Amino acid sequence: MADDFHVPLIIRGQIIDDADISYGGRRGGVSFAAPDPAKHVARLPLRTPSSMADLYALSFEEILDFLVALGQRLDFGQNRHLQEAFRLSCLTSGLSESILRGHFQHIGDAFDRTEMRRMMERSCGIDYLEGWVDQGPGRFPGLTARTRAFGARAVHVIAGNAPIVSILTVIRNALTRSDAIIKLPSNDPLTAVALVRTMVEMDPDHPLSRHVTVAYWKGGDEQVESAIYDPRGIEKIIAWGGFDSVKHITRYLQPGIDLITQDPKLSGTIIGREAFVDEGTLAQVARRLALDIGAQNQEGCVSARVIYVESGTDEAGLERANRLGQLTFDALQRLPDTLSTPHKAFDTALKAEIEGIRLNEEDYRIFGGRSNEGAVIVSQDNYPVDFSRTLACRVGNIVPIDSTETAVRAVNAYTQTIGIFPESLKGELRDRLAFQGAQRIVSLGGAATMQHNMERQDAIEPVRRMVKWVTEEQASGEMLAALAG
Amino acid sequence: MTSYLDRLIANPTSFHNAPYAQAFTLSREEIDRLHLEGARKRFSELRPGLSVLDKLAREQGVDGIGTIDDLAPLLFPHTVYKSYPISYLERSRFDKLTKWLAGLTTSDISHVDATAIETIDDWIDLLDAETDLTVQHTSGTTGKLSFVPRTKAQWRETIIHSAIIIRDWWPDRGPDILKDGMPIIIPGYRYGAGATQRGNGIQIELYAKGEENALFLYPESRFSADIASLGGRLRAAEARGEAGMLDIPPVLLERREALLELERRRPDDLRHFFSEAQRRFGGRDVYVTAMWAILYDWAEEGLKRGLKNVFGKGSVLLTGGGKKGKEMPDNWRERVLEFLGFDTIYEMYATSEQMGLSMMCEHGNYHIPPIQIPFLLDPATGKPLPRKDGLTGRYASFDLMPNTYWAGLVTGDEITLAGWEKPCACGRTGPHVIPPVRRYSEKEGGDDRIVCAGAPEAHDRALEFLAELSM
Repeated sequence: MADDFHVPLIIRGQIIDDADISYGGRRGGVSFAAPDPAKHVARLPLRTPSSMADLYALSFEEILDFLVALGQRLDFGQNRHLQEAFRLSCLTSGLSESILRGHFQHIGDAFDRTEMRRMMERSCGIDYLEGWVDQGPGRFPGLTARTRAFGARAVHVIAGNAPIVSILTVIRNALTRSDAIIKLPSNDPLTAVALVRTMVEMDPDHPLSRHVTVAYWKGGDEQVESAIYDPRGIEKIIAWGGFDSVKHITRYLQPGIDLITQDPKLSGTIIGREAFVDEGTLAQVARRLALDIGAQNQEGCVSARVIYVESGTDEAGLERANRLGQLTFDALQRLPDTLSTPHKAFDTALKAEIEGIRLNEEDYRIFGGRSNEGAVIVSQDNYPVDFSRTLACRVGNIVPIDSTETAVRAVNAYTQTIGIFPESLKGELRDRLAFQGAQRIVSLGGAATMQHNMERQDAIEPVRRMVKWVTEEQASGEMLAALAG
Repeated sequence: MTSYLDRLIANPTSFHNAPYAQAFTLSREEIDRLHLEGARKRFSELRPGLSVLDKLAREQGVDGIGTIDDLAPLLFPHTVYKSYPISYLERSRFDKLTKWLAGLTTSDISHVDATAIETIDDWIDLLDAETDLTVQHTSGTTGKLSFVPRTKAQWRETIIHSAIIIRDWWPDRGPDILKDGMPIIIPGYRYGAGATQRGNGIQIELYAKGEENALFLYPESRFSADIASLGGRLRAAEARGEAGMLDIPPVLLERREALLELERRRPDDLRHFFSEAQRRFGGRDVYVTAMWAILYDWAEEGLKRGLKNVFGKGSVLLTGGGKKGKEMPDNWRERVLEFLGFDTIYEMYATSEQMGLSMMCEHGNYHIPPIQIPFLLDPATGKPLPRKDGLTGRYASFDLMPNTYWAGLVTGDEITLAGWEKPCACGRTGPHVIPPVRRYSEKEGGDDRIVCAGAPEAHDRALEFLAELSM
């Protein structure tokens, strides 16, 4: 069978489009062909660190110029590489065509000059990227110091659940003057290719084109990975997602390699008793909750799954929680199709779990979940469903509680975002949620629709950690000589 | 011929000791008749006493079985037998667990007072003592335990049924174990309520004719349901954060320690098992039963010790289960047989909620007995596919033998069915499964797609050991 798609290997401006190996049976029945990574693996890492120097001939403004120009070329209506990536993503992604189309139509927006500048100002400070910054007085009189942020040679093992991951990777690599090998995910191998291919078409010899490589190999391929994860060629690994992908990598960790992980995470919601003050408020809460569950088809780590609601757990309390469940399910069904749709590949194991507990009326009330329309499961006790980790495809679990204390204590290090209603409760709980492990605390409805500073995702600073903070110190020669006695 | 069929229609449970080979000579019309009349009988008899079935029937709007496809929407998702909340276990609400189980069996268990019970093992023992149930639980390695309300009579029938299969499946080869007896060798636990332990006592009585003719790897130990439930409970506790971890009862943590102790003792137990196998049963004809993955471990340990052809040529092996995701070399089957020293093998495809077994024939197909009603469901819509040879879909089936609980289940397996139009090359009539049997969950996770949503699970040495033990 001929492969539907080609995933080229792009090494520092050179495009290799041989179809040596076919990777069949991917999600959505997709197969794609790619060059044999073993043939080219020796050329993937940048073995000579001195070759980073060309990036320093560019000013920060010149880097922005290039990225802005790249953004203009990433016009979905014109750019056939993006169109190809979209066509493949429609088959492999958990996002429906209508949602993906929105993502691809707005890829250029991510290359906004002001926003890129703000992002780097917040994460590294542009003066640190541009030069040596005086560090002020220190402990030793007469000792002065200057620090500069230098780009590093890194492998990026990226996630494929949304195109934004590829976009951020390309932008961050350029703005930090780093050198990237992007390991493509099988569920979105072409978005990063489209971006980098467009860069090569702009100028294959531009330093920014010369410092990015994209390649597909099967995660865990020892021949390829032992050659790449070697401190002689790379300094950092930025790994997104899956436990398995990180597990492969840990085999190669050794002094000299810095691992930055964007671990898989889950997100949730806490709704205070104020939600039930009147019908109008409850209806608004339900609509905002539907957004947190349903936006981006619940494919993201920011999507709400377990929702603690301070409704009370007596009979009247359960009734309140069930009412919110009904309203939320209705609102979920009415979300605009650019944000959310019935899931095209509803998880069959999850479906079996829902069908099993549907027959247990005593413990659960289920709204929806008949086909692929999504569901709201309301626990009839203050416990989440036993399969809460696998909630997906627009299925949320409302858990009635008597006090928000139960919700706070359920938060742990795997909790990414928590959507909260009302605002006053957010102020009250945010420090305690942070102690527990929460990483982003937002207004209900804002979990998966908008995000302020993605460079702080997961409460770490991946951009700041992508660079090397190099210090130059100065003391007087006389003073140093005097120390020798 | 007619009387064989009529007997099954009148009492499908009687299949457990009916001549087995004859079941695979029935015509398509006879099989269809048995399926339809059997389904009508079970539905009308069981619905009034099974509240869960009644609810499903109301949900699906099914009031009677007109054609056989009307049965398909009434098959339980396999999750039904574990649809209780784990919080029942955490809060020791065994009264509620009893009430939940009561909805799944026509056996009367309403008199059972489980309010003082604190562990699953004690709850199972209480039901053993005070009801006609001998509840069976699953191994639980993937999360939660299922509890299947099988009766004492049904367990006995199951063990008799296996012996009849061994006698009749291979023409002129199988021993009549019920009549002549045979030592039994089981590389596992002697006691417990898991699928592989529940029948041990009855096998000792009916097959071995006494404890002195039986050998177990763990002759004194019980496969504890509380330990088997550890994985699912720790995961549920973790998902509830600090609140959950504080709720883990000390008795559970003690049992985790006991499991680690068992792991430490395993080399000694293995040594003892091998020396006993050789000393007491070496060269004799025996009955061996275990899943393939367990057998493979056992065989490799034995071969390492230089043991080969341990048992007599007239021995038999009842097995199944495939590789269970375990890494084994291509010649794993040969390695097992080399160790055992005989080649009369009965390989089955079965689910623990049902009594009937589908046995593999000389052409490698699994033959579904006429007492089981197989369906292939469209994996996307859940609608039954037509009874045509060569179609592939999600396997679901209804077992007519159990008469006190609903033995109709939708599995997580993808299979191909044939035999509706043309019999198997082995000559047996009726539907059969053409391997491979594949899990939908494995299929979906079979590539290296990476997403940012999810939560890593705790890796616990005790749980990993448990996973190996309970395959």
